[in-house]
Amino acid sequence: MSRWIAPAAAVALLAAVSVAVVVAAQAPEPTSAERADAIARELRCPDCQGLSVADSPTLSAAEIRRQIDEQLAAGASPDEVRAHFVARYGEWILLAPSSPLPWAVPFAVVIFAAAGLLAWLARRRSSQPAAAPPSDEVRRRLHEEAEALDA
Amino acid sequence: MTPKGLRWLLVPLLVVPLGWLLFTGFGRDPREVASPLIGKPAPDWKLTTLDGEALSSADLAGRPYVLNFWASWCIPACVDEHPVLASAHEGHGDELLIVGVLYQDAPADAETFLARYGDAGYPHVIDDGGRLAIEYGVTGPPETFFVDADGIVRDKQFGPLTDELMADRLGEILGAASR
Repeated sequence: MSRWIAPAAAVALLAAVSVAVVVAAQAPEPTSAERADAIARELRCPDCQGLSVADSPTLSAAEIRRQIDEQLAAGASPDEVRAHFVARYGEWILLAPSSPLPWAVPFAVVIFAAAGLLAWLARRRSSQPAAAPPSDEVRRRLHEEAEALDA
Repeated sequence: MTPKGLRWLLVPLLVVPLGWLLFTGFGRDPREVASPLIGKPAPDWKLTTLDGEALSSADLAGRPYVLNFWASWCIPACVDEHPVLASAHEGHGDELLIVGVLYQDAPADAETFLARYGDAGYPHVIDDGGRLAIEYGVTGPPETFFVDADGIVRDKQFGPLTDELMADRLGEILGAASR
């Protein structure tokens, strides 16, 4: 079965890449308001509980949104806009971590757990003694007890 | 110890750090993050005080100062720390400047607060639109920043100040002035 895995993976990857290319080619260039919205959705509203700047009506959120618009209009890139707020609030202002490491943690946990489980199962199977046929003594007792039940 | 005995060590090795992480993590305010501004030059500003006068960061240059973000609606934290700021202002005289910054507050409400709890005489600036609060990365009052004579942010207090905290934080900026 393993010789199927590599070609199947290659076909799946090719299909995914071509779909992505077609979708990207068809999508219109985002307007500056859309770009500002995208950044606002990634920034935490400072005086809210777990809301993004885009979702919040507070004064701080409105001011941050205004500054995003202003900086984009001045030619800043989305990364530069995010960095501007990170320099003031720290990484806390980003709703999602910028480092790829935290994203890998759940996958690592699942892989380690699966590997551990497989290793444990393999060891249990190999260490289990092969079932020996019952001895004459056991056969005799089984017979006796079955008869006692019938009686 | 046999490998089998070692296996039992795995349980405390996993449970103890995880338990510690959850225990300390849930006890903390997620907003209480170290300010990236510490060690950096304080943001510049030019605002109007409650008395209607212009005040800017340039006017404070050369002297250590304390920037206290507060609001009349910030109860009880801002009420609790109010006497701490007043006594620091009285105790240090000209060697230390204290500036209050109104955080999302109406000037009239701030005046009422000062009339009720005492006006120590240091200036309070009106932060229209909350721009200065964003420059300082403020998430909610009270938050207090300690800037040394060279204009470098040395410390930040998240939440209300007490006399002990104030003395501790002031040590960082007053020490810099005498060096």
